[in-house]
Amino acid sequence: MENGSSKSQALGEFEDALAFLERSCLPWLERAQNEDGGWGFAPGSLSRVEPTSWALLALEEFRPSACGDRGLGFLQGSQLGDGSWPAVTGEKKGSWVTSIACLALCRRPEASNVVARGLRWLTEEWPGDSGWRWRLLRRLALRGRVEDRNDAYCGWSWTARTASWVEPTSYAVLALDGSPPDLVPAKARLRLQLAESMLYERMCSGGGWNCGNPMVYGVPGEPQVGPTVWALLALRRNPERPEIQQSLDWLEKNWNRVSSPAGAALSAIALDVLGRRNSISRTSLRNFRENDQTFCNVPVAAWTALALSKQRNWLQNHA
Amino acid sequence: MPREAPLLLPPFMRPPSRVAIRRALGYKLDLAPMLHETLVEFDLPVRSKTVLLKPNLVGSDPLCTTNTHPAVIAAARESFLRLGASEVLIGDGPALDRDTHAVIESIGLREYAGPLSRIFVDLNVDDVERVALKTRASRLKELYLPRTVRRADFIVSLAKLKTHHWAGVTLSLKNMFGIVPGAVYGWPKNILHWAGIERAILDINAAARPDFAIVDGIVGMEGNGPIQGAPRACGVLILGDDPVAVDSTCARVMGLLPEKIDYLRRAATLLGHIRPEMIHQLGESIEDTRTPFAVLDAFRHLRAAA
Repeated sequence: MENGSSKSQALGEFEDALAFLERSCLPWLERAQNEDGGWGFAPGSLSRVEPTSWALLALEEFRPSACGDRGLGFLQGSQLGDGSWPAVTGEKKGSWVTSIACLALCRRPEASNVVARGLRWLTEEWPGDSGWRWRLLRRLALRGRVEDRNDAYCGWSWTARTASWVEPTSYAVLALDGSPPDLVPAKARLRLQLAESMLYERMCSGGGWNCGNPMVYGVPGEPQVGPTVWALLALRRNPERPEIQQSLDWLEKNWNRVSSPAGAALSAIALDVLGRRNSISRTSLRNFRENDQTFCNVPVAAWTALALSKQRNWLQNHA
Repeated sequence: MPREAPLLLPPFMRPPSRVAIRRALGYKLDLAPMLHETLVEFDLPVRSKTVLLKPNLVGSDPLCTTNTHPAVIAAARESFLRLGASEVLIGDGPALDRDTHAVIESIGLREYAGPLSRIFVDLNVDDVERVALKTRASRLKELYLPRTVRRADFIVSLAKLKTHHWAGVTLSLKNMFGIVPGAVYGWPKNILHWAGIERAILDINAAARPDFAIVDGIVGMEGNGPIQGAPRACGVLILGDDPVAVDSTCARVMGLLPEKIDYLRRAATLLGHIRPEMIHQLGESIEDTRTPFAVLDAFRHLRAAA
């Protein structure tokens, strides 16, 4: 009886989620698209690469649409000569959003050239903390002030030639790992190894990640939902590793502290992808939906849609 | 119209500044009447203007020891509306947590300030404008700044009284790091650290100098601030029309020497007054409210002699 009741409850939730997607979430995202084919962070704001990429990922997860083609056009037009994408339209320097743009486009065969150039830029873009000079200066300047860590590991930075952080590193791993192998430069293998080592090393004691400071002045840093989810997704190929299980435990235990639609959507994605029951997250997702809090900005609406996807096409590896 | 760049003036060309210290022993008190009464003394040009309150929202903080307390934010909003502002927005871009919604929920801002959808702006994801930096104190030549900041008529830095493990203290000037948009520069805004924190503070404040500063010192943070320090009850609100003078006064209340705080010394060359004789003190005296804050060993040199 109990089994039957939980099945029908799950079915009810699934139908409820589909209705929400079809009637509210996806139409809201479609309406938020700008004339130039891009999306801003909020409806009516200027188009930027990051929200455009999330909106595309979410819409294309469920159905091909004219919005997708126009979004592709915006991203193609925004790519810089060196293959990167800027965080702000009109800026001439590439940034971390290159990973998100590649992730959004890597399943579209017509964008393969664009993606290949983006991945090449990502592979050749070393963070500022990867050089010997910086590592030496850090050791001298911060001696005793920051917990020791292995400076040989590095990932990706938010802006060019600054330090490696958990989220941009995770995004880059997802983009390189999720793209068709023939588009990924051979040198990316080394970058991926270093990045994964860096992520494991930056995990907070007890599981989970914050932006990248597990210890500051000898005091353990608190994990946060967003970085934890992105790191877990980047490292999901090794679900048996104790770090992954510990971090999933942290995420599961802290579900009741999730007080935002972004946190609920991201938690639901990670718990589902890594095989944990996530009825709790889905319930909290529904609470936010009922309060219309999902529609505070485009990435949050996109993550909510992705959290409700059963297929997870956007995370399927081509390899 | 974008906001006019503030006047950068050396101290000898600047009129004296005014700073008020008001006692407030807890957040449960009705802070708005006291704050309003004090703001009236400053005769601020906010009637029919858009005021932007920029609190210090660092990350999720259910105990409200890290962020500007929501009671102070709500009281400031109510006070500026009573002074005739046409609109009082609250805006910040937390540096360490992208989930601004979770940050403001964690401190219960909605319970104090009411529905936030029309008055709160997440500066991390606001539309941006490119701004050339005039001071060039750091390596940065330009910054993208949120349109809401550029368009506000009157900016109030609504900071928390805290020590800081890299800058010594974080008060109204350092609080302005929060206007730098995360969607461009990331979480944390690491480019500012690489450019040199002290120098970047000067550049940012020269590009968007707060017109007024209010520091929540009812309960501050000492030791390993700005996040992992210990709460320190100080029982004051410190406010004034010159952020350098306000921060200098805060440092003195904390038992520290503002002249030895690198970024305050730099800011005093162009943005405001650091010398006590150029700061007209209102309300309580520094001596009566002095509450020595513990600092990390690296900042022992900031301590004033007992």
